[in-house]
Amino acid sequence: MISIKLVNRRISRRATMLMGAAALVAHGLGSVPAKAQDGGGLGTPEAPVNLRIMADAAYGNAWQEVMVPEFNKKYPNIKVTIDPVPYTELLAKQMLDATSSDPVYDILVLDDPWTPQVAETGALLDIRNETAQWTLPDYDWDDFNAAPLAATQWKGVQYGVPMRSNMLLMFVNKTLYEKAGLPVPTPDLTWEEYLEQAPKLVQDTNGDGVVDAWAIDTYFKRDPLTPTIWQSIFNANGGRLLDDGGKPAFNDEIGVKALELHAELLKYAPPGSVSHGYSEALASFRQGQVATSFNWGSVYRNSAVDPKTTTLTPDQVGLQVLPVGAKMGGSNRGIASGTIQAKSKNKEAAWAFLQWFSSKEGEKHHVNNLGGFPARKSTLAATPEPGNEWLIPVFTALQQGFDFIEAGEMWRVRHPKSDAVQQALADAVAAVISGQSNAKDALDEAARRAARTLR
Amino acid sequence: MSTNPSTSAVLMRRLHVGQNVRILAGVIVALMFLLPVFWMVLTSFKFQRDIFTTPPTFLFTPTLENYTRYLQQSNIPYQMMNTVIVAFGAGLISIFTGSMAGYALARLRIRGAGFLGVLILMSRGVPPIALAVPMFLVGRSLGLIDKHIYLILAYCTFLIPYVMWLMRGFFLALPKELEESAMIDGCSRLGAFFKIIVPISLPGLLSTLIFCVILAWEELLFAIVLTNRIATTVPVAIANIAGDTVNGANWGALTAVGTMTVVPVVIFALLVQKWLIQGLADGATKG
Amino acid sequence: MSNVQIDTQHRRRFRKEKLLDLMSRWTFMFPAGFILIAMLAYPIVYTIDISFALIDLTTFRVAEWVGWDNYTYVLGDSRFWASLKVTAIYLALSLPIQMILGFGIAYLINVEWKGRGFVRALFLIPMVVAPVVAGGVWRMMLDPLYGLTNYLLGFVGLGPYDWLGDTWLAMWTIVIIDTWRWTPFIVLIATASILNLSKDIFEAASIDGANWWTKLWSISIPLLLPMIAATFIVRWLGAVKMFDIALSATGGGPGASTQVINLFIYEEAFRSLYFAEAAAMAVLVLVGTMMLTGVFLYGSRKLEDLY
Repeated sequence: MISIKLVNRRISRRATMLMGAAALVAHGLGSVPAKAQDGGGLGTPEAPVNLRIMADAAYGNAWQEVMVPEFNKKYPNIKVTIDPVPYTELLAKQMLDATSSDPVYDILVLDDPWTPQVAETGALLDIRNETAQWTLPDYDWDDFNAAPLAATQWKGVQYGVPMRSNMLLMFVNKTLYEKAGLPVPTPDLTWEEYLEQAPKLVQDTNGDGVVDAWAIDTYFKRDPLTPTIWQSIFNANGGRLLDDGGKPAFNDEIGVKALELHAELLKYAPPGSVSHGYSEALASFRQGQVATSFNWGSVYRNSAVDPKTTTLTPDQVGLQVLPVGAKMGGSNRGIASGTIQAKSKNKEAAWAFLQWFSSKEGEKHHVNNLGGFPARKSTLAATPEPGNEWLIPVFTALQQGFDFIEAGEMWRVRHPKSDAVQQALADAVAAVISGQSNAKDALDEAARRAARTLR
Repeated sequence: MSTNPSTSAVLMRRLHVGQNVRILAGVIVALMFLLPVFWMVLTSFKFQRDIFTTPPTFLFTPTLENYTRYLQQSNIPYQMMNTVIVAFGAGLISIFTGSMAGYALARLRIRGAGFLGVLILMSRGVPPIALAVPMFLVGRSLGLIDKHIYLILAYCTFLIPYVMWLMRGFFLALPKELEESAMIDGCSRLGAFFKIIVPISLPGLLSTLIFCVILAWEELLFAIVLTNRIATTVPVAIANIAGDTVNGANWGALTAVGTMTVVPVVIFALLVQKWLIQGLADGATKG
Repeated sequence: MSNVQIDTQHRRRFRKEKLLDLMSRWTFMFPAGFILIAMLAYPIVYTIDISFALIDLTTFRVAEWVGWDNYTYVLGDSRFWASLKVTAIYLALSLPIQMILGFGIAYLINVEWKGRGFVRALFLIPMVVAPVVAGGVWRMMLDPLYGLTNYLLGFVGLGPYDWLGDTWLAMWTIVIIDTWRWTPFIVLIATASILNLSKDIFEAASIDGANWWTKLWSISIPLLLPMIAATFIVRWLGAVKMFDIALSATGGGPGASTQVINLFIYEEAFRSLYFAEAAAMAVLVLVGTMMLTGVFLYGSRKLEDLY
């Protein structure tokens, strides 16, 4: 009796597993999507063009939902699919696709420092020259601010167009300044003034004897983007990451002082800030706990406007460049740009999309519907549509930022091995901020590693 | 042997008290372990502005927005389906092949099998990062990128060694007479394995299956590298939300997705529990 | 038929049977072996390959052979050794805690009562939460400013602790989160092994007057030894590969005090795109892991023989 039960169970279990495995194999092998006939050019209704784009998930999905339908109104026969990838793996995946003999993606949306290495593989199209035949007369390349356009330039060739401009800015909680009895900062604020005011901004705002507000929260943790804070101080004081010969020049006096300043900011930051990065700095600013925050401008909307994500209101929040050093105000560039792969079979359609996206018309749609930041001088000078008044102070700050960025070369290292150098800088900054090393030694070590990499 | 009623009654009572203490301790530890999960579920119902408050809030205006937004607007249901296919596919294949291999290691004296087994186990020592890129390169040349089957096979590479070694342990604990008596009765080795050993080891097999499904369920690196859009899984979606360097990681959404992915597996485990007990009951009555 | 002919016939049949028997034994190993070799052969060879070379990022293949250069670079890199030290500390802390806690809890919840299956399923949950979410939720809970942990500890007068900023506490944070995630696995396997134990021996021991303590040490542990050893080895191999928890909870910080070896390799490979050096490190880690696993296996076999 028992054996019959066991036999039955054995058969059904084996059979189910075999059937399951067979089904999976069939599913896996059979799920090749029928490749739509590429109509070439801009596509036709019977043979549309399939455009594939690889982008950061942070904005890729939003673009798919908001930008692509608008694009399709003008070009109905181009089917655009944007595949989202997490930022930390984006570069590796893009490099893997770029080095393929038959790439899957037509457009790669690159982050700021990546153009040199992707371009060196020979995978990118010289976008300005190769697409001139398809460029509309009113596109106006000169309308772009120099800084965002430079993000995809390498060795004199223009490889892409800016799609999403971003930069480090200083967020100000005006209420906390008022509570401390200090004047609200203006773009002329210098680092000396800032440091003078900082101790007073560590305050107890509700009189219960416990400090509940601090002066600053920003990137302090071990992260590749943390050095951008140090770098903005460094650049504002006239420092240059690399000298004219391409050798590391950041471990000089200016660099050391800048790193010491960055570490000093911890004194006026909330407890536990040594492990704070992007998300935590955002959180404390949105909770109204810090008077200033150095962060990427793109979070302005969620930090000042949207009541679901922040406790602050637009009139409370100021936006400007970072404090002025010896030479100028500080910032750091973070532009995401669209590039076309040289091996793409849909170059005309790809350029149609990128051209539209970065055109005056496309930027306006991006700005007004997603709050995305533009790169064109004309868009920054224009008034946003009603309902988007919160953008007005943002545009002023952005234009300021672009000017400083261009003047002070405020961007991460431009080199095919830039990520490795950035990692060396990240290690140095993390060592100093956690108190495990002094600024001179840490930067010297980073310079040594960078020199080896840049060789 | 003193078996007078009063001592055995005392023994029974002491047994019950001991057992109750164990039950209580077990439940308390379980609740302690669940505290972060409770916090995660709680957070999933908060607006973003309520998540990072000082001090942490238990009273707030709840919202279902984190759930509805992700269920309606994003790709998550599709990715969930992919994750189920891949996790269970890899789990079942691994259990099937791995338990056979584990049996070979435990019982069959094959020259070189032990060495091969150790070698397979050692393959677990290779950092997965080192394997991801070459697997991608091979997959690309075979046209298998973004296909479920390739991801399943990739997962098998780290599941099979686990199954092998765990099941070896289970099989070693079984008395040798079991299959020997079956084979004397004319059963083949394979037959003895499937008819006798497998049903007896059901608790071990099912527990290992749960473990495999869970491991495959949350695997991230291979899923990112080996898939694009068709076979993409929920861990990739989570990484996308968490790595949002533009708007800041949306912790409401993350905890919502986190909660959603926990539920199916727990249900699966609860269901399998019943089989576990039943398999044991049958095994116990083998006589 | 002569005796010789019968003899040869027997011998042939015997050889044939032996061959069939050998084949049937290898059939057990075959499916698993096939999948593993098919999927892993090239990647492992590739990794060893590029560890001896300079990699050409335009094709991801070997550009030029440099012999042991990558290895000398890695072995001379103080960050590599620092990371190994961090990993060793993490393993020495988490593995014993997890094994003892896991088997202990399995013992606790093994009592036969109605809710047993439910409690067991509850214990699975920490293992199922996605690593990124788990790391993030714990981070949320451990933050000095808005974290639940310091808030609750404050009620009993402890803290506030800087869980993520203090070097030593950050290590404990990693250990705690890892233990939280993986003890359920040990509980799962331990429960199954305990269930596997035949009841008869226990009953016989009770009749002989053995108490709880003796039963534990003379019966349970010896019988469970193969499973304890197997679980330890599986867990040890998993722990060596841990990096997602460190990444999402502390990012390797503060400084580099929680940068476990796999996180370091990940950063070198995916962030700095130093694939060849990362491959050399991977090979070194593999060799080291293999040696230690060999030691553990040898030790466990000795223990098994003892009992």
